Amino acid sequence: MRTAREYGLAVCQSCGWLVQDAPARCDRCGRKVHFRNPASLQKVWAYWLAGVIAYIPGNTYPIMITKSVAGENAATIIGGVLTLIHHQSYLVAGVVFIASIVIPVSKFLVIAWLALSIQRGQATGEHTRLHAYEATEFIGRWSMVDVFVVAALAALIQLGALVSIQPGIGIQAFALSVIFTMLSANAFDARLIWDREQDKENDDDNL
Amino acid sequence: MSEFHAENPLPQSADDLNAQYIACPHCDSLYVRPRLSENEKLECTRCHSIIMTNKVRSSERTLAAMIGALILYGVAVSFPFLSMERSGLENKISVIDCISVLWTNQMYLLSIALALLIVVLPVSRILLLVQVVGTIRVNGRAGWRNARALRWAQFLEPWSMAEIFMIGVIVSLVKVGKMANITVGPSFIALTVLIVLLTWTSTAMCRSTTWAALERKQ
Repeated sequence: MRTAREYGLAVCQSCGWLVQDAPARCDRCGRKVHFRNPASLQKVWAYWLAGVIAYIPGNTYPIMITKSVAGENAATIIGGVLTLIHHQSYLVAGVVFIASIVIPVSKFLVIAWLALSIQRGQATGEHTRLHAYEATEFIGRWSMVDVFVVAALAALIQLGALVSIQPGIGIQAFALSVIFTMLSANAFDARLIWDREQDKENDDDNL
Repeated sequence: MSEFHAENPLPQSADDLNAQYIACPHCDSLYVRPRLSENEKLECTRCHSIIMTNKVRSSERTLAAMIGALILYGVAVSFPFLSMERSGLENKISVIDCISVLWTNQMYLLSIALALLIVVLPVSRILLLVQVVGTIRVNGRAGWRNARALRWAQFLEPWSMAEIFMIGVIVSLVKVGKMANITVGPSFIALTVLIVLLTWTSTAMCRSTTWAALERKQ
């Protein structure tokens, strides 16, 4: 299998046009075209770290504050899931648990694993890694579900002194974490998975 | 489909080069560009990604879906999607209320982010696609400014979160369903149809033929 880079060609990542004098602007869609995205892994790690950091307050601070005649109750993400289980809403509890805990955590792990495998020059499991990357890119945005739930509930439950819901500061950090992890996955150049030492002579974009 | 061989000298002009060769965007493998018959696709022999497609009536279908989506978006944003009633008190909410409640709670950045993710970016993406696909439908081809527009439309795709918002609404519906009387409004139905339409568009639209119909900046 010969790669485009071996012949001095670079593929535009947005429109697929082949460019002869990379790095240059794609002469069809105007995007900057590189043999490999410059500093791809550095960007991946930077956004990854920002995402992990934002994820911590996202989980420790309350995401939703319920005020009612019975008093005030501030719930975290995990607290909300436990309340749903307590009320036997297992399906919704499952959706929230998967979107807010399982997906973000597995995303952190998958991105770290992909970046480390590239840095170690791993030459096996390319198909598994490409699938893991595509799944991460596809599924990552679904973590925003909890943010929209909080916004909808806070808008809906406004019955004065009877009961009202306010968004908690944790949801802001959580949304930020989702956005950073999306950017991290976005910065990853899938072509790196298939690169081998011997075909790097044309590589002018340092990793 | 055949692999590229080093004996063939590469064409000098960018147009000839791209007419004869195509590369996999996921693993960089280079191929001699095949002629695809209708609904045929080119799969990369190394990483098995789909490199090229030739879907029938792509621009026609996409244009129809996008015009429909634009109308549905208008309905979805202007009418309430949920209303709740308890002990004689009633509260109706629209998409805009979900955004403004964050603003009134001093979460300005999140409020702006939500406005972008569920209204501004999805609508911009739909408008860009109407422009590009509409021009191709009418003229058969489209100028280089449309290529820029299509690039932006593609960039906006992961950041258009209408369908995720809809799942969020359904989750909140189940969450409060037991404590109050909840009824769905016209916007809820519009949003549901919109999700179906947007999902269908992603399979009906052919990126390869759309890009191929766009001209380069001379």
